[in-house]
Amino acid sequence: MPSEGGDRMGVLQGTLDLIVLRTLATMGPQHAYAIATRLEQVSEDLLHLNQGTLYPALVRLEQQGRIKGSWRKTESNREAKFYAITRAGEKALAQETLRWRRMSGLVEKLLSEGV
Amino acid sequence: MRRCLARLGNLFRRRAAERELEREIAAHLTLIQDDFERRGLPPEKAKLAARRAYGGVEQAKELHREARSFAWVEQRLQDLRYGARNLLRTPGFTAVAVVALALGTGANTAIFGVVNAVLLRPLAYRDADGLVTILHDGVAPVSPANYIDWRDQSRSFEAMAAAEYWSPNLTDNPPEHLTGLKLTQNLLPMLGIEPMLGRLFAPGEDQVGSEHELILSYRLWQRRFGGDRGVVGKPVTLNGESYTIVGVMPPEFKFAPFWATRAELWVPMAFGSRIYNRGANSLRIFARLKPGVSLQRAQADMTAVSGRLERQYPGTNRDVVVTPLKENVVGKVRTPLLTMLGAVGFLLLIACANVAHMLLARTSDRQKEIALRTALGASRTRVICQFLTENLLLAALGAAGGLALAVWGTKALVALSPAYIPRVEMAGIDSHTLLFLLAITMFTAVVFGLAPAMHASAGNLSGALKEGGRGDSDGMHRNRLRGVLVASEFALAFVLLIGAGLMVRSFFALTAVDPGFNPHNVLSMVVSVAGSNEAPPPAREIFYRQLLERVRALPGVVSAGAINHLPLAGDLWGWPFAIEGRPKPHPGDEPEAVYRIAMPGYFETMRLPLRRGRSILASDDARAPGVVIVNQRAADVYWPGEDAVGKRISLDYDTGNPPTWITVIGVARNAKQGNWASKPEPEIYLAALQNHDFLEKAESHFEYLTLVVRTSGNPGDMAPAVRHAVWSLDRNLPISEVLTMDGVVAEATAQPRFETLLLGIFAMVALLLAAVGIYGVMNYSVSRRTREIGIRISLGASRAEVVRMVVRQGMLQVLAGMAAGFAGALLLTRLMGKMLYGVQPDDPATFGGIAILLGLAAFAATCVPARKATRIEPMVALRSE
Repeated sequence: MPSEGGDRMGVLQGTLDLIVLRTLATMGPQHAYAIATRLEQVSEDLLHLNQGTLYPALVRLEQQGRIKGSWRKTESNREAKFYAITRAGEKALAQETLRWRRMSGLVEKLLSEGV
Repeated sequence: MRRCLARLGNLFRRRAAERELEREIAAHLTLIQDDFERRGLPPEKAKLAARRAYGGVEQAKELHREARSFAWVEQRLQDLRYGARNLLRTPGFTAVAVVALALGTGANTAIFGVVNAVLLRPLAYRDADGLVTILHDGVAPVSPANYIDWRDQSRSFEAMAAAEYWSPNLTDNPPEHLTGLKLTQNLLPMLGIEPMLGRLFAPGEDQVGSEHELILSYRLWQRRFGGDRGVVGKPVTLNGESYTIVGVMPPEFKFAPFWATRAELWVPMAFGSRIYNRGANSLRIFARLKPGVSLQRAQADMTAVSGRLERQYPGTNRDVVVTPLKENVVGKVRTPLLTMLGAVGFLLLIACANVAHMLLARTSDRQKEIALRTALGASRTRVICQFLTENLLLAALGAAGGLALAVWGTKALVALSPAYIPRVEMAGIDSHTLLFLLAITMFTAVVFGLAPAMHASAGNLSGALKEGGRGDSDGMHRNRLRGVLVASEFALAFVLLIGAGLMVRSFFALTAVDPGFNPHNVLSMVVSVAGSNEAPPPAREIFYRQLLERVRALPGVVSAGAINHLPLAGDLWGWPFAIEGRPKPHPGDEPEAVYRIAMPGYFETMRLPLRRGRSILASDDARAPGVVIVNQRAADVYWPGEDAVGKRISLDYDTGNPPTWITVIGVARNAKQGNWASKPEPEIYLAALQNHDFLEKAESHFEYLTLVVRTSGNPGDMAPAVRHAVWSLDRNLPISEVLTMDGVVAEATAQPRFETLLLGIFAMVALLLAAVGIYGVMNYSVSRRTREIGIRISLGASRAEVVRMVVRQGMLQVLAGMAAGFAGALLLTRLMGKMLYGVQPDDPATFGGIAILLGLAAFAATCVPARKATRIEPMVALRSE
């Protein structure tokens, strides 16, 4: 069922999973807040998320077995759920990245040539 | 797949997942808060900032839940519980809605049950769709010689068989006059139904001398033979001759399906010398199309064959029509049944519209709740789903009521339905009707629920919260939607009422029809003399005279007479004749009339007056010159501008011998014969006591007469005495069809009475629903506008002005609907043309009368809320918000 949150970030629907996987792959295990912060930094604040909207992606990825969450302590000695990319997640990341590149390349080509 | 399992798991570990989520969100918020504190915010402000950065906590939870498991199932269960609570909270609304929906779905299901049984289900024969009848004009019987030529010369049929009406006397004790059929040997195998006991007729058994086999229906087997399984091979005496029982058919077997439907026994038909007879049309022809042969091709084939025969034997092979067997069975009731189905469809739509604007009013009152739910994280889809679930629950409750109503209604329909609806006894609640009920339930839930649901969720969130859900302005859009709903209710109700109104008018026109005779206080019964030892052919004249004398002598009997076939209840036989002094007509173009054989006293007993001349007397016997009475129609058609009395006709003009001329001695009034609504046909009445066929022929269609007895008291009470008088002459005479003429007339108008009753009920329910609808809408509108009306009153508006305002608002919607209904009715009632008698489908009186009736009902329904509006106290109204 599409939700209101989903409507608002419709463009991102497919890509959010990919971005999360990529972030975890480069940065190692992270908690949701760190992931959100990282996304904002990288996108130079162009992408501003309600941090709650990360959860569906995390749940989805965890259920697909691409990431795994476990409770740990942060540096500041707070407890948080850290997500780590799994072997299956790395494989999926490679595939999805390839697909995304092809797709965006195609879209870019179409847009610049003006069909 | 894996995700699916995980979701499924989560469905059960819901509580654990929920705790985990709480913990994660709390941790997340703490981390953000830490960050803000590190940047120097005081803890309290940091906490708030963290919340803001995070976004809606509840929305996040909801998103999480949706992704986590089969939220759909979870939510539907939730919605269901919530919906049930909601419906229980407003029992009045729920009750009204459920009753409206139960009426709608119940009526639809019951009528559909009948339509399904009568129209949709195939006939109970093997591959029944390939079965056809071949008849003159599609209805009239066929002669043996034609049957044999058609069978041998056509190429489109796998088999062609014939059946003939035969009603023998079972002379074993007690005597009984039975209805049966003679069948060519190939007929039963063609139908493809195996006997329950014994066998079908064997080839060769339909030859003269070997045609004394008998197959019993299940009913006759049960009634006369006590269901004895050893009955096969036993002898039975029919019309004094011995027949051997060879088989018993299964209980569901019926033949023929459209005529002689009461046949209970079947014997082989031996044509003998009748194979050369091309004049006596007494056979009904049944055939099975060859695989792959279309009806059109079969018709073309038969047209070619009969065309050839018509050139060879002029006047014998006209208008040969191939009709699907099922068309014969259900053709006549299709229009009435589909009209009824259409009517209940309208009823359902009206019920839906009614429930829809009730729901709409309710959703307006629930704006606040909806706004709250949206604020707490419900998505728009979720709100719509919640509403649809509630509607589905409502529809399901309605359907449950509908099912109960349908079970009862179907039984009532079957019990009430006149004999003319074939196969109706099979109507009931089966899988098809249940599926239909399910389908219309879903349909109604969507129809009455979708618009209000869309509306509810589209509402402006903060506006609704602030307003407290009770603004003065009711929203133009919603108002218009409600108006449209009310208008469409009235449009539909108008069409239904017009339909019913036309039926009522037509029915009154029918009951005003004069049958030509006086049916009150007349008892009739069929006395069959076939096989009687007391009334053998030579003594039959004396026997009949004695019979009438005995009956006339009974106390309480005013007069008595007899005829071969009763008006409205008997058969119609056409008979060609020649008129003296006119050129010999071409074969097939002869004057023709319905042929009756009457005993003295018939016209007096029926009070069928003679316009001219005299009646048939006891002295008109074999020694006296031949006489005949014609009806007014025959006199008008065959002797226009002349006096028919004194003219002579001959019935045996084409036998090759010199014709026997009989003299017209009287002209009788036209009496209704075949069909109540039909136009009069030419008729001739021959004198029974001088008719050789009637007195001497050992053929079953001459060996009975119908006694008519006029009584001083209740005719039904006289039946035992009359029966006893008959049996005092011969204890073995079967007596059947003991009827009062009033009953015969009632039966003849049973179809329009039934149709009028049903449509009338539907239209009344529609009127009621529409009135409740406009009342509900106006009542709601007034309660929403309490403050506005209060202001108007305080500013000096008079009570009359307030009433006028409210009534005008309501009546505008009603009139718009009625205008649409008027146009719709003009279009739709044309389809009813065939069901109407003596009234045009666009009858102005009906349209005008119904418009006034509906308008008055609507006016009355709006007046109540209008009066309520005038009682609004300005000060109370202004303070009320």
